Amino acid sequence: MKEYTLEELAQHTGEDGKPALIAAHGKVYDVSDSYHWRKGRHHALHRAGADLSADLSRAPHGAHLLARVPVVGRLRES
Amino acid sequence: MARVAREMVEQAGINVDELLELLVSNAAAELTTYYYYTILRVNLIGLEGEGIKEIAEVARIEDRNHFEALVPRIYELGGELPENMKDFHDISACPPASLPKDPTDAIAMLKVLVEAERCAVRGYTAVCNMTAGKDHRTYDLALAILNEEIEHESWFSEFLGEGPSGHFMRRGQSSPFVSKFLK
Repeated sequence: MKEYTLEELAQHTGEDGKPALIAAHGKVYDVSDSYHWRKGRHHALHRAGADLSADLSRAPHGAHLLARVPVVGRLRES
Repeated sequence: MARVAREMVEQAGINVDELLELLVSNAAAELTTYYYYTILRVNLIGLEGEGIKEIAEVARIEDRNHFEALVPRIYELGGELPENMKDFHDISACPPASLPKDPTDAIAMLKVLVEAERCAVRGYTAVCNMTAGKDHRTYDLALAILNEEIEHESWFSEFLGEGPSGHFMRRGQSSPFVSKFLK
């Protein structure tokens, strides 16, 4: 499985025809086709292209919702 | 706009433009849900459908009430609704509660209904978390809506056999929590 650095992840914001990728707890997810990540944004508060592990812990939903989107890689540990 | 009311929220540390985007997208979710629930409700027919029809209708009307309650707050904070209703539909915080392929499948209908409510519960929980202790009026409104959305979720969840909801259907007036914002 592909390994992404934070810099590579930051390039995948869902803009300019690139997929919208997010990272959480070491996994990289492709949220391009998710209704909740249209145009690479989630509820005005979050943007694709970032590691959202900390945000997920404060979210009003659990990590189980990530099971609805495909895993496309791992986030390289810095 | 209520200029000082907006300033108070800004000074409390809230990004008001982000909050407005959340409120508008949730208002869009309420109005679109009201529309899609209309289609769901009319298709809840037969012996199985009849049992769900009334709670679907209560949820439908209360979601419309939520839209009505949100609109003044959006404008108080200096926001606005999109001029184009198609655009408004497309910024909804929640996916369309579309009719299942087989409308006679009561379980499928209930799953659509419960997922719509769960999206709303998450959305208003987020607004409450953002505004608690900082934007008292929006918090009060979001909390009122959240209370009703939780009851909607629990009704549909109970019908899906996920356990008792703990409370009874509405008796009398709808929107027991949100009605104070509709006066």
